[in-house]
Amino acid sequence: MKSMTPTIVSIAVAAVIVSVVGAIVLTRGGTKAGDTAPTNVSIVGENQIIEISAKGGYSPQNTTAKAGTPTTLKIKTSGTFDCSSALSIPKLGYQIILPPSGETVVDVPPQAAGSTLKGLCSMGMYSFTIRFE
Amino acid sequence: MTAAGTRTYTFQVNGMHCKACVFLSESELAEHPKVVSAKASLRARSVKVSGDFGDRPLDEIARELSAFLSEHSLSATAQGKHVDWDEFGVAVPIAIGCAALFVLLQEIGVVNLVSGDTVTYGTAFLVGVIASLSTCMAIVGGLVLSISATFARLGDRTRPQALFHVGRVASFLVLGGVIGLLGSAFRLNSTGTFVLSLSVALFMLAIGISLLDVFPWASWLQPSMPGFVSRRALVTANLSHTLAPALVGGATFFLPCGFTQAMQLYAVSTGNAVTGALTMLFFALGTLPVLALLSFTSLAVRTAAKQGVFFKSVGLLVILFAVFNVVNSLAAIGVIEPVFNW
Repeated sequence: MKSMTPTIVSIAVAAVIVSVVGAIVLTRGGTKAGDTAPTNVSIVGENQIIEISAKGGYSPQNTTAKAGTPTTLKIKTSGTFDCSSALSIPKLGYQIILPPSGETVVDVPPQAAGSTLKGLCSMGMYSFTIRFE
Repeated sequence: MTAAGTRTYTFQVNGMHCKACVFLSESELAEHPKVVSAKASLRARSVKVSGDFGDRPLDEIARELSAFLSEHSLSATAQGKHVDWDEFGVAVPIAIGCAALFVLLQEIGVVNLVSGDTVTYGTAFLVGVIASLSTCMAIVGGLVLSISATFARLGDRTRPQALFHVGRVASFLVLGGVIGLLGSAFRLNSTGTFVLSLSVALFMLAIGISLLDVFPWASWLQPSMPGFVSRRALVTANLSHTLAPALVGGATFFLPCGFTQAMQLYAVSTGNAVTGALTMLFFALGTLPVLALLSFTSLAVRTAAKQGVFFKSVGLLVILFAVFNVVNSLAAIGVIEPVFNW
């Protein structure tokens, strides 16, 4: 049937695009910073320092830190102009536009064991989570 | 010539969606020398024309009268208000394909293409280009698509779209200068951001549903001038096609887009009206190519058959963007867990 041709063509093109994108998303998903390697957490005296970089999202996305410890969050930007520069941490009532390049320090009071702290960009599609144990 | 009696003919008006169009169609038809009176109905999408056309066939009269209409055409046969489900066969894959390309752009990390610590006007332009391809497209691009498709369906393809972009670029220039001078940005708190994003998303959702042309009740969702206003003065309708797009374009300065906010912060930090104004101007110019492409795609579809598919595709895409924005806004204020994390 002639009238079916555009439908078939558009379904075929969409299927190709979706499978290419799907393949990229899935393969990248494996290497994404889903790890909880505590390399970004260091202890200096009484203080716990957590480093997170902000550019095209937050990295690492998941961090495990010590509960009940005064914590300093260091957020690094380098040529960051995207949404990750518009950071908010709802639990702390904290909201800031990070400078394009530099380091921003956020003081976090000691957190209870088992609690989490989330940071998101203003539009909500980038986030990071810190789990206190 | 015999003075044959004046007869009344009923024609279907194709593409008459707005209340102002009804009055416009009536006054345009009245200009035809043989037409005595014309009465259009938005509900029936039809027009009753009284006039003396002799014994000519109905479709020939319809063709002749169509030439007098600037934005619509008449047909002799009733088209029946049926939903063209076949069009979804093409529109759904197009919308899914576009959404997948949008996801792809985010996945390949288009936002990481910007680097450098100093912001030159060139950087501002580049940041603008990348912003227009980033997730900001879901909000600003979605708004551009909704507005331009609405006006295109009302028959106005170029002017409102162009005015939207003029309003946007001008407001970035002016407001960029203002925040540079004041040394502080008008920033919304998280509640304000949430309310604004949610309102824009709901607006897009309404337009999207109305563009699908499936639900008869959805026609009230599309913005229109009350009939009595347009009847009194076409000027009002004209205003809504001129002032409104320019104002909405200007208001995009305040839409929550990370890139825009970062640029505004830089403009503030310069503490200089000229630098602030030019930085925001170059940023807005950088976003222009992609946004203009989005708003002028409607120029490429002229035939009625393609239009149905086009408006349905845009409708679906706008709905997807709206849902994406609602989910993100809810995540941003901590109501739900973040769904997307790039």
